[in-house]
Amino acid sequence: MRSHKPPFLWLLEKEFRDLAVSRSWWILLLSMGPLVGVSFINAVRTYGEVSGFNGTAGAVGEAMSPLIGVWAPTFSACELAAVFLLPFVVIRLVGGDRQNGALKLELQQGMSTVELVLAKVAVALTGWLVVMLPSLTAIPLWKSYGGSVYPPELATLVFGHILNAGLTIALGAAMTSIAEHPATAAILTLAVTIGTWLVDFFAAIQGGWWERAAAYTPAALVAEFQHGLVRLSAVLIATVLIMTGLGVSAIWMRLGTPLLRRTLLSACIVMAAACAVFGCTFVRASWDTSESRSNSFPEADEHALRQIHQPLRIEVHLAPEDPRRVDLERRAFSKLRRTLPDVRISYVSATSIGIFEQTAPGYGEIWYSLRGRKEMSRSTTEEGVLETIYSVAGVGPPKEDEDAVYRGHPLAVRPRGAGAIFFYFWPALIVLSAIFLRRSLP
Amino acid sequence: MLFEIENLSKSFGDIVALSDVTFQVRAGEVLGLIGPNGAGKTTLFECLAGVLPCDGGKLRANGEEIPGDRRSTILFYVPDQIAPWGAQSLRWALDYATGFFGGRQDLRDELVGELDLGPLLRRPIAALSKGQRKRALLAIGLLTPQPALLIDEPFDGLDLRQTREVAARLRAHAGRGRTLFLSIHQIGDAARFCDRFVLLSNGRVRGEGTVSELASQAASDHPEGTFGSLEEVFLALT
Repeated sequence: MRSHKPPFLWLLEKEFRDLAVSRSWWILLLSMGPLVGVSFINAVRTYGEVSGFNGTAGAVGEAMSPLIGVWAPTFSACELAAVFLLPFVVIRLVGGDRQNGALKLELQQGMSTVELVLAKVAVALTGWLVVMLPSLTAIPLWKSYGGSVYPPELATLVFGHILNAGLTIALGAAMTSIAEHPATAAILTLAVTIGTWLVDFFAAIQGGWWERAAAYTPAALVAEFQHGLVRLSAVLIATVLIMTGLGVSAIWMRLGTPLLRRTLLSACIVMAAACAVFGCTFVRASWDTSESRSNSFPEADEHALRQIHQPLRIEVHLAPEDPRRVDLERRAFSKLRRTLPDVRISYVSATSIGIFEQTAPGYGEIWYSLRGRKEMSRSTTEEGVLETIYSVAGVGPPKEDEDAVYRGHPLAVRPRGAGAIFFYFWPALIVLSAIFLRRSLP
Repeated sequence: MLFEIENLSKSFGDIVALSDVTFQVRAGEVLGLIGPNGAGKTTLFECLAGVLPCDGGKLRANGEEIPGDRRSTILFYVPDQIAPWGAQSLRWALDYATGFFGGRQDLRDELVGELDLGPLLRRPIAALSKGQRKRALLAIGLLTPQPALLIDEPFDGLDLRQTREVAARLRAHAGRGRTLFLSIHQIGDAARFCDRFVLLSNGRVRGEGTVSELASQAASDHPEGTFGSLEEVFLALT
């Protein structure tokens, strides 16, 4: 008489049980309550103050967006947890079997290591969804205060944090499978994370290719989702990286495969992934799911810009660390790239910080070229950029539509009950659940 | 013959762990792998099970070569000194082993009784003593369906009474057609329990056969000696 349950379901059950007895997961869960609580309470307080609470000017809060004012900071706890705590849960989940010898037994079942890794990843991801519960709890709480919720932007934010966790899980799984010891795996995982920070750092100083690469680091990915922007290229690249991590993990879990073969297979996968990532960078589709359309020009401007079919060339004489360049990118060029089908922006500078270049002739100039016509502007605002483009393209600027302007959802309230939920109820629930679950497992 | 090993080799850098290891495993027998510490017994088992890459050599069954990733079709290896699924109860671990590896559910209760695991079922595997864990690992191994079972040090951690009881149980399972290939460093235990032996020393097979066959080999190598016991044969050949 043999079990009717497929081996993969047995494996899944085992992984879930391993997660349920994992102290690192319970500690992560426990810490999420206070982490989210601090973020949410501070966000609601600040949002209230900007909305006119405590005698501050109410008009300031007119354009307040809950996505930027409340949800981005509240869910930032997930980003912290994904970087600093989740790797340890993954390392324990993936590396535990190797440490206690179970992997040597399980490999003899005949199941592919891809399935072994998939089971672990599925459980880690489920565990992460539970970890996100305190952040999700903030949604009904905010609603109970009378706050506005725009589901598409919130769904984008949640998706972004799940994708970010997926990257951490894949990275942790790969490093754990490669490293002999969990401590080495932890160091390697954190080293890669720090490496992505270095990319961000160099991007800020050097610009160029570093800047292009920095657009796809986990931090940049989360920042985009926090603004309600879904860039297909970023999603595809994250998916490719996740698949690469899982593939490498599956290869290194095959203890019976010679080291050289595992290394070569991993190198092939990494090279294939690098090609796929490069290809994905050319995908231009993106969606602005934010209610405030913070990643897009006003609809009338978008309509006007779409009438420009010729290639637009922009040459910017600003150093990478010049704050005007950052403003220009965030407020105008990121939106322009999403709207115009053929726009090429190049930066010219002799230094990275630009302080000693300020007096150089031409520094700060932004040149726009279209159909042989050239115009120069120094404006780094959205309005200034659009005005110059309309001028160089010979397109009439659209009339401003007052009705289409985002007015925001100011809300001046105190975060009632949030402290009790996040600082007392959630930790108590986690402690009791941990005790109950660990005792009730047969 | 269930399967045969041909010229199996394995090195760790400059250290040769196994060198041209060749022998046969017959269906339904209890084969003992004996050798001094560092002879390469565990390395041999891990290479056979496909959980450690070997540098060369083949495993053949019915004339067909069985690559490392397909060894689980004919054999299952139980390593020594592991505590798999340590946080889980023994009861669940046995159920898991039965379900995951495709073993017989009815054998589970029988093994719990045979190996005296009843009082331990609720305890986490990591909390078991060395001997208790060894009995748990034997049960897990015996629950698997492969025709051959390789066990590294099956009696390590067991007291004399337990060793004899476990040996009798293993012998009973062999009697039902399961082939057992056991790595045993206690020559006395091996002599009492195994049908045939593979003598391994410095990564090389020094002899293969029954005690009398090995004694003949020892006598031909050392005409001046007398070899009545496996211990004497072992000392002469290794």
